[in-house]
Amino acid sequence: MIETRSLTKRFGTTTAVDSMSFQVGTGEIVGFLGPNGAGKSTTMRMITGFLPPTSGEALVNGKPVWEDPLETRRAIGYLPESNPLYEDLRVHEYLRFRASLKGVPRKRRRNRIEEVMESCEISDVRHRIIGTCSKGYRQRIGLADALLADPPALILDEPTVGLDPAQIVHTRSLIKNLAREHTVLLSTHILPEVEAICSRTIIIHKGRLQFDGTVEELQKGLSGGGMLTCTVRGDAEKARNSLLKTEGVEDVDFLGGEEDQSRFRVTAQAGRDAREAIFWTCSKEGMPLLELVSRQISLEEAFLSLTTRESAAEKTEEEQP
Amino acid sequence: MKGTLSVAWKETLSYFFAPMAYIVITAFLVMNGLIFYIILTALSQPGSFSASPMALFFGGTLFFWIFLIIMVPAITMRLGAEEKKSGTLETLLTAPVTDSGVVAGKYLAAMAVYVAAWLPTLIYVLVLSRYSDVDPGPVAAGYLGVLLVGLFFTSVGLFTTMVSRNQLVAAIIAFTILIVLLCVPLLSFMVTDVAVKGVLQYLSLWNLMQNFAKGIVDTRALVYLLSGTALFLMLSYQALQTRRWA
Repeated sequence: MIETRSLTKRFGTTTAVDSMSFQVGTGEIVGFLGPNGAGKSTTMRMITGFLPPTSGEALVNGKPVWEDPLETRRAIGYLPESNPLYEDLRVHEYLRFRASLKGVPRKRRRNRIEEVMESCEISDVRHRIIGTCSKGYRQRIGLADALLADPPALILDEPTVGLDPAQIVHTRSLIKNLAREHTVLLSTHILPEVEAICSRTIIIHKGRLQFDGTVEELQKGLSGGGMLTCTVRGDAEKARNSLLKTEGVEDVDFLGGEEDQSRFRVTAQAGRDAREAIFWTCSKEGMPLLELVSRQISLEEAFLSLTTRESAAEKTEEEQP
Repeated sequence: MKGTLSVAWKETLSYFFAPMAYIVITAFLVMNGLIFYIILTALSQPGSFSASPMALFFGGTLFFWIFLIIMVPAITMRLGAEEKKSGTLETLLTAPVTDSGVVAGKYLAAMAVYVAAWLPTLIYVLVLSRYSDVDPGPVAAGYLGVLLVGLFFTSVGLFTTMVSRNQLVAAIIAFTILIVLLCVPLLSFMVTDVAVKGVLQYLSLWNLMQNFAKGIVDTRALVYLLSGTALFLMLSYQALQTRRWA
């Protein structure tokens, strides 16, 4: 449904988006993650056809965005980052204007506007002038606008910004419900949001694609063969050495201990499950195994590790003469 | 041209929801009324030269032009600059409308305000016709001239607002261009070269409007005003397209 092929955007000498390639299939909700200034909005603007790419191309429905801009725009409901609205119009006037602009048939317009106002919970402000609406309402007016023509693809740039917790929950479930028939690409830097609603996540940093896969894959992929926390009774040094010798174990860190117990963080080799081997080692060495927990790394950790690893690597690159 | 009517309708609404249109139109009518009164008083003085009041009203005085070069930029200045400043250009241009539709829609809305400002002056004609004979020909030609000059000036204003993010800057640039268009032909009084003099006289908006007021609809004037309009509409369209070159 949405595809980018080595999409690149340069502003002067800075490269905002650097040969980005990914696909979003029909019915998927993909979370577009990245720190501020990573190039999320620029990428989205190129997909909607608002900005032309420096090189590469964006495709919607298999067709390059610039080949038939009108067709592309009809297929996409777009909520831009700053959610710009006409301050001097009333909510229903704005939606009526947008509906006519988007070619919603005259006969269906009134009903359709009622529907989106209902689902975005803005019916109670329909007669208010947009300029006087609170941020939460404005955000949902923007979302209502994106949904108006019932486009097959939705591109939402930070849709839950400025909403209160109850509205966030509502908006997320709204987006999740939409995903049954729509393709959704949403950007955010709220990580739990991705966990809560996205089937897949794309992480970008400094304009480059860092990761493309499910949240589980992200967590698993970064912890390699998995992280374990292991507590044994016995001498810390001896226990560490024997754990290190265990098959499938990559590294062992001493975390701490009390009395005769020692706690370790065990990193397994990529793709291996070391739990059983650890059990047998402990049993052979006569160290009672008190606890063995496989530790999931959180999305925050995964995200931070992805986005800081890169900068660390760059730093060392720069340091080299 | 898709989206023309939707954009035109929305822009017209925006004009009349905001105080700007009312302020501009009111100021314009008050000033025009004053000038009309002065013209009538001057013409009714014993021993004054004889002329048709409406002929003087249409471009016969400097005030006609002063009002126009202030009013038109005031009408057009927000059309593009506001969209850029508030970011709504992004939602507008990602909707299924063509750039030409956006330009045409905004232009139509500005022209609607321009026409709305002039419509009440028809009362002057009514008032005059009660007390004297009014020749309908020159009056109709005068209004045609007003419309054509409006088309031209509004296209200039639209262009400047399409290239600026700031309404005031847009208005000042438009004002400057209009002053130049108005004043450069005045150099014909100083030029001795016949060819240059001819060109400058052809471009003179003063001559052109006075001809209209006399009831002369000259094709050369039509060509000048309409081609000028087309030029600035093209430039407005190109200004909107520049985002694609970035």
